[in-house]
Amino acid sequence: MRSQHFLNILLGIYIFIFLMYLFGPLLIMSVTAFNSAEFPSITPWECFSWRWFQEGKIAYDGQHLAGLSTDWRLHDGLIKSLMIGLGVVVLSVPIGMAASIVLTQVHSRLRTIFYSVSIMPVLFPGVIIGISTVVLWDRIATIGGEGFIADIGRNGIFLTILGQTCFISTYCFLIFVARLQRFDQTQEEAALDLGATQTQVFFKILIPYLMPAIASAAVIAFLASFENYNTTVFSILSDQTLTTVIASKVRLGISPAISALALVIIALTLVAAVVYEVLRRREDRRKKERQDQLIYEQTKDSRLKKEPTSSFKVPRFIFVVILFFILGIFGFNQLVKNDLYGPECVAAAESAKKSNFAEQLKLLQQNADTVDEKSLEGGNLGGNQDYGDIFGDENLFKDFGGFDTKED
Amino acid sequence: MNSFFNKNGPLISTYFIIAIVFWLIFLIIIPQLYMLDLSFRPNLPPLLRGGPDDVHTLVHYKHFIFGSETSADAYNYVDIGVFLNTIFTAIMVTIINLCFCYPIAFYMAKVAKPNSARLLIVALIIPFWINELLRSFALRILFAGEGVINNILIGTGLIDAGINFIALDIALYTGLTYAYILLMIFPLYNAIESLDTNQLEAAKDLGSSTIRTHWRIVIPHAKAGIASGCTMVFMLTAGALATPVVLSSPNTYWFTQLIYQWFNMNDNWSRGSAYSILLLSVSVIFVLLMMRLFKVKIGEIVR
Repeated sequence: MRSQHFLNILLGIYIFIFLMYLFGPLLIMSVTAFNSAEFPSITPWECFSWRWFQEGKIAYDGQHLAGLSTDWRLHDGLIKSLMIGLGVVVLSVPIGMAASIVLTQVHSRLRTIFYSVSIMPVLFPGVIIGISTVVLWDRIATIGGEGFIADIGRNGIFLTILGQTCFISTYCFLIFVARLQRFDQTQEEAALDLGATQTQVFFKILIPYLMPAIASAAVIAFLASFENYNTTVFSILSDQTLTTVIASKVRLGISPAISALALVIIALTLVAAVVYEVLRRREDRRKKERQDQLIYEQTKDSRLKKEPTSSFKVPRFIFVVILFFILGIFGFNQLVKNDLYGPECVAAAESAKKSNFAEQLKLLQQNADTVDEKSLEGGNLGGNQDYGDIFGDENLFKDFGGFDTKED
Repeated sequence: MNSFFNKNGPLISTYFIIAIVFWLIFLIIIPQLYMLDLSFRPNLPPLLRGGPDDVHTLVHYKHFIFGSETSADAYNYVDIGVFLNTIFTAIMVTIINLCFCYPIAFYMAKVAKPNSARLLIVALIIPFWINELLRSFALRILFAGEGVINNILIGTGLIDAGINFIALDIALYTGLTYAYILLMIFPLYNAIESLDTNQLEAAKDLGSSTIRTHWRIVIPHAKAGIASGCTMVFMLTAGALATPVVLSSPNTYWFTQLIYQWFNMNDNWSRGSAYSILLLSVSVIFVLLMMRLFKVKIGEIVR
């Protein structure tokens, strides 16, 4: 018994580590979005600021780091991502639906082949789907000569929609297959016996039954398209979507504006998850109430009668929200008290850095001058010791700015 | 064919046929076949394509094995090294992921109460709606030379100089494991969940130790889930592009980065295609291997 207890504690610790691994990085990234320093970090904390959500900054050395609201490339990419997502939903949901319905109508060997080919795209690496789409359409565009075909064959948005549809259709297909497994085929037969045409059966019976699957397939397709990178980066050609913009930003240099963007996405995801959970619970409760009501009506057993409870119950998660709110206010208060918030703080940090930068520049200049003189005199070239080893101090160069020299 | 039309009516049948032909033939099969063909052709400017020089050749595959003709080495050590390193890392990441996720999946399926298991599932899904690039970026903030972990370690006096996590590939391994956790956990969870809890209790009553129970009962039962999870993780890791771009050290190249380079920077599409075919064949071989090893059907792998 004791060893069981010990095991449970171990498991608890393990799960804690796992959750830390899952959420720790995201949490830290979110916090760095509020640090005014131009390198996303926590420990040399400059000031609390919203600048990365707003206008960004122009660094003292002339480097321009755009914030979220002023970055036109991000906005452009966002619009293209939305367009592509819409296109993918419009194509892949009907394709997935058609394939899954046909799967129920074919048999034995053909069925196995059909199923295997349909799920193949999920097993292909995303880059390969992107590449194959591009090379094929480039060829088609070349053969087609000038005109419409050449235009669409070299249009990044069109190619991306096709490339993504290739494997996102499989996701939709799998969702529909799962739903169709529980479909009662006698419904169709009954409708046909009562004189409905096949088209009517499709629209009046099958489509309403598949409606939940259509909705979830559309959502999944849109999200998968929206966050896809591997296929898009090849098939988008000269255009840019949100993910490729993010990728080029991350590769070029890392700026807290990306943290800010991530925080916005995290917040949206959280809201969506909470709304979904609340709706689901409400639906569950309603279903249960309806069932209870039904049982009561059938049995007329007064013991089963449930009085409709009108008392308002405070949901438990409200307390968590309030706790976070209080913590937030308290933390913010501390920030203001310690001069870590507001334009003054940012200005002070900025000027400190500027003077630091200027000083270093001056010292370097001086060093260069003296070295020149010395080399004329034929003296020792390693001038470091002459300044009380001031350049031996690595920290001088460490605070230089946004360069991360140790990384490579 | 006739019965198909009779069953669905003319309008719906036409829709079905158009949708399926468009998808299977036009989006899946033809592009792959064309890419395969292109990989056997020399890299020509558009005007010369289809001309007398446009013949089938093995030049790109030769380049992968023997290197360019001007180089002194007998074999193309760089590319082959990248290729093997990618496969090796992908296998390692898959194994790490399996070991890491198995206890969690078991906990969710058998130990936790239904409500907390559901909560855990939602908690698992949330990070995976956030872009892979942004997740890698979060890890980069942690692991950078002046990143959070180094600053904390130096601040507490545990180490004197920063550890270069990125050059040591620690960041890459962590990032790749992080990226596809979900695709390992869900198949495992589904497989373990379908196990009858009575079997576990029976084993316990008969005096089996915890490890033995897992080895003899849970793992054999979860075979299909393990195969499915491993396949998905291996595929996605070997074909990953976003995470290696952000987290790999400058001297570690990922095979997809090589493909990207041939394709976009050197403008040699046919060589890019040839390298893609190599990656694709590794994926296919891995799937077949998994199917053979775990004796599962392809339908059980993708669900």
